[in-house]
Amino acid sequence: MSGLYLLARIAGTAVAIRTDEVEAVVRLREMSPVPSVAKYVVGLAALRSRVLTVVDAAAMIYGADEAAPTVRSSEDLAVVCEIGGHSYGILVESVDDIQTIDAPALPVCGRVDEVWRRYAAAVIEHEGQPYFILSKASFFEGFLTTQAAA
Amino acid sequence: MDELLSEFVAETKESLAALANVAVALEADPSDRNLLDELFRFFHTVKGSCGFLNLPRFEKLSHAAEDVLSDIRGGDGTPDSPTISAVLAVMDRIADLCAAVESGDALPHENDDELIQALRRCYDGAEEDVASPDIPVPVQTVESQSRSSQASRTIRLPLALIDQLMNGVSDMVLARNEVARKLRGSSLDPELESVFDRLSGCIADMRDTISKTRMQRVDRLFMAIPRVVRDVSRDLGKSVELMIDGGDVEMDREMVEMVVDPLTHIVRNSLDHGIETPEERRKAGKRETGDLRISARQSGSQIVIEVADDGRGINVEAVAAKVVSAGIMTAQEVAQLSERAKLDLIFTPGLSTAREVTSVSGRGVGMDVVRANIERIGGVVSLTSEPGKGLVVTMRVPLTLTIIPGLILSAGGLNFAIPRSAVIEILHDNNPTVSVAELGGGITATIRNMRYSMIDLEDVIGVPRVERAGPRSLMIVRSAVGRPFILGVGHVENHEELVIRPAAPVVMASGIYAGMTLPDNGQPMLLLDAGGIAQAAQLPLISEMVDQGKGEDAAEEARTDTYTGLRFIELTGEERIIRLSLVERVEDVPVGCFGESAGRAHVRLGGRLLPCVGHVDIGMIPTDQREVTCMRVRDDRRELCYPVASVIDIDEVPVALGLAMPNGAAVGLVLIGDRQVEVVDSLAVLAAGGDRNDPVPVARCVIADDQDTWNREILAPLLAQAGYDVVWGADANTSGPDDIVLLTSGDEEVYEKKGAAIIRLRPDAAPSGPADMSICRYDGDALLQMISELGKRRATA
Repeated sequence: MSGLYLLARIAGTAVAIRTDEVEAVVRLREMSPVPSVAKYVVGLAALRSRVLTVVDAAAMIYGADEAAPTVRSSEDLAVVCEIGGHSYGILVESVDDIQTIDAPALPVCGRVDEVWRRYAAAVIEHEGQPYFILSKASFFEGFLTTQAAA
Repeated sequence: MDELLSEFVAETKESLAALANVAVALEADPSDRNLLDELFRFFHTVKGSCGFLNLPRFEKLSHAAEDVLSDIRGGDGTPDSPTISAVLAVMDRIADLCAAVESGDALPHENDDELIQALRRCYDGAEEDVASPDIPVPVQTVESQSRSSQASRTIRLPLALIDQLMNGVSDMVLARNEVARKLRGSSLDPELESVFDRLSGCIADMRDTISKTRMQRVDRLFMAIPRVVRDVSRDLGKSVELMIDGGDVEMDREMVEMVVDPLTHIVRNSLDHGIETPEERRKAGKRETGDLRISARQSGSQIVIEVADDGRGINVEAVAAKVVSAGIMTAQEVAQLSERAKLDLIFTPGLSTAREVTSVSGRGVGMDVVRANIERIGGVVSLTSEPGKGLVVTMRVPLTLTIIPGLILSAGGLNFAIPRSAVIEILHDNNPTVSVAELGGGITATIRNMRYSMIDLEDVIGVPRVERAGPRSLMIVRSAVGRPFILGVGHVENHEELVIRPAAPVVMASGIYAGMTLPDNGQPMLLLDAGGIAQAAQLPLISEMVDQGKGEDAAEEARTDTYTGLRFIELTGEERIIRLSLVERVEDVPVGCFGESAGRAHVRLGGRLLPCVGHVDIGMIPTDQREVTCMRVRDDRRELCYPVASVIDIDEVPVALGLAMPNGAAVGLVLIGDRQVEVVDSLAVLAAGGDRNDPVPVARCVIADDQDTWNREILAPLLAQAGYDVVWGADANTSGPDDIVLLTSGDEEVYEKKGAAIIRLRPDAAPSGPADMSICRYDGDALLQMISELGKRRATA
């Protein structure tokens, strides 16, 4: 699983996303809210002529209703990626770095918080720090299951 | 290799679609050598290509077909219908194989040899037939334009590339808008401004051009039809003449995809249920061959597709009986429906009027699916049925799915868009014709005696209302199930052409959005789905449908002996009513605009002077009032202002007077509810409001010398003021014998020949001699009198 990774934080948790799954990281300014949809949908934002559906990663993972440690950054950094033909902006707390990590993916150790188990299948270590490996596929599945529940 | 293969598949599929028509046309006219050659070339090409692509089954099939066609080309036999059927079967198999190759599935295991043998057999049979003189009578089929379209040069482009281009151009438009905003702030350099304008124009042109790349000729939509008609009519033993018209109309390619299925379904229905068998047609005194016409035309931003047959039409009573027996409605409910509503019952889900399930239709996929599919893309389906004579199904669909005219509205501080086509009417909630009542949480709005379910958009989307000055707006919105409902919104902002994109599944999951759009201000907006809102709000729309039908009939009945009138209070206090059709608008006019001159009242309105209704004394307007409510009354010629104390309501007024009692201003009394109201004598009002010496021009005046300054500056305005049309000599070849020609100089022979009346004008006060019949040009009264006399003489002659 070595390659170029985007290292980010979602609600305080360090995650690594493969850069070939990410189109860009942008700072979103204005967003139009979308009423009466799932709570983790923050709104719509324009990125040039594209319209991003902006979702809050922390709210998705923890569920918006629960008193989760949803420390959302004030600057609304969004990871832009395309899932199923639609463009999404996934709000993260912070983006730390982009690094080539030359290490094998490790199994998840320790009793991981319930909510993370669905999304994090493996861990990768960089400079002694562990990161959850998040993939678009795991997020997409998350969308589908949440939608079915809604 | 892969690329070659996919290109081969794409090309073959496209040719197959076009060639089905060629085959059908060939069947109709077996002597057409060009069609035969075209068909032959196709199989030849396929055979050649699949040789090196290593597709043995393709090769075998196309080889067999090529052989047979080649023999026919050589003069051995004719392409009769069994042969064509066999050729079509081979083509279908090739299409199946293409689909399999494309999807990467295993090739369907069916025996190609059987098809090939069938082909041979038909052909051999045909060969024997040649001996007998029984050559099939060619059936007239109007050929589609598929061949002419090949003449234009085209290239194949992936759709993704076009979408990318579209996005690029949209980016450019947004960037341009941003630059425009920035430019507005800074001090303007005229040179920069003109360069920017040019750039801006280029971008707009480019956007138009790119959006055209999405357009496609409608004949692609019609491509499959001849084959369907042929196969179905053969299966049913009916004889049908198909006419296709308007294939060169263009529409969005996605739209073409969406309309294909409903159209095919309607065509199948027409063939199966509409057009009778030859015997039935003979008995009914019709031609044995049924007519089926399919046409497309553009009407504004819509494409109108019509499928017309001359079959038996829809048996409305049978449909109604079916609805009752299926337990969808009771007999009473059905009986209360208007004729139109009964016809529309054909769209009821789960209904098939076919007496038995045939292979063609009646498999439960009915007109309801057709309607749902068309409405999903913002279209409308309507029926015109003449029992025994035929049925016309009209589909109106928007030109494109991606750009629609939309209304932008605001609710709870958020902006939303709604397709313009979904909105029937917009009213303010303080409109006197609207009353809103709440009962147990449900809101009913009554507009002009029609009850509607109402819901506030803020309640649907769960956001608090934003208080703002001014009335809220009520939109009468079409719902998918027929009965419109009312959507209350904060206010309607404006109306814009919107580029619609699909929204993400998480957003669509709510069911109240149809997509999203990025207007020119760069702030993304959601497009509301009217049907979805009605569902989300659980408005009871179906049961109300019955009431609507009843209301319609009642209204129709009532309309026969009433007219719509506007009830108002005169400045003098009487309650009176005037025909609404005479009132152009109602407006508040400042008191200062009223004036009086030569005993006649007038009003200054927007830089014009309008006569004011004579019998109203301006002095009666209370001095503390700054504005007077005025009705603008007009017919086709006269326009005047009718000041009133207040306007009350719109009523249905019986034409027959309750009590005829002409007293100048009123012609009599009518009863509205239990009130007695005076009816305004419209004739008297209009007569009093006109100019006193209102001329009745009966003729055109032709001024022969259009170079003369006096004619231009003095004479023409004089005539125009008197109400005559003035035509200049240069245009005189358009003049007719009814014209009156005014000559100042030059010869009159040209006009005399035409028999026109001639008036000569002279600059001198005195005539030059006793024979001089000319009029002094300064004698305006004499001139006008002369024209009027000549005009009358002409009119009576």
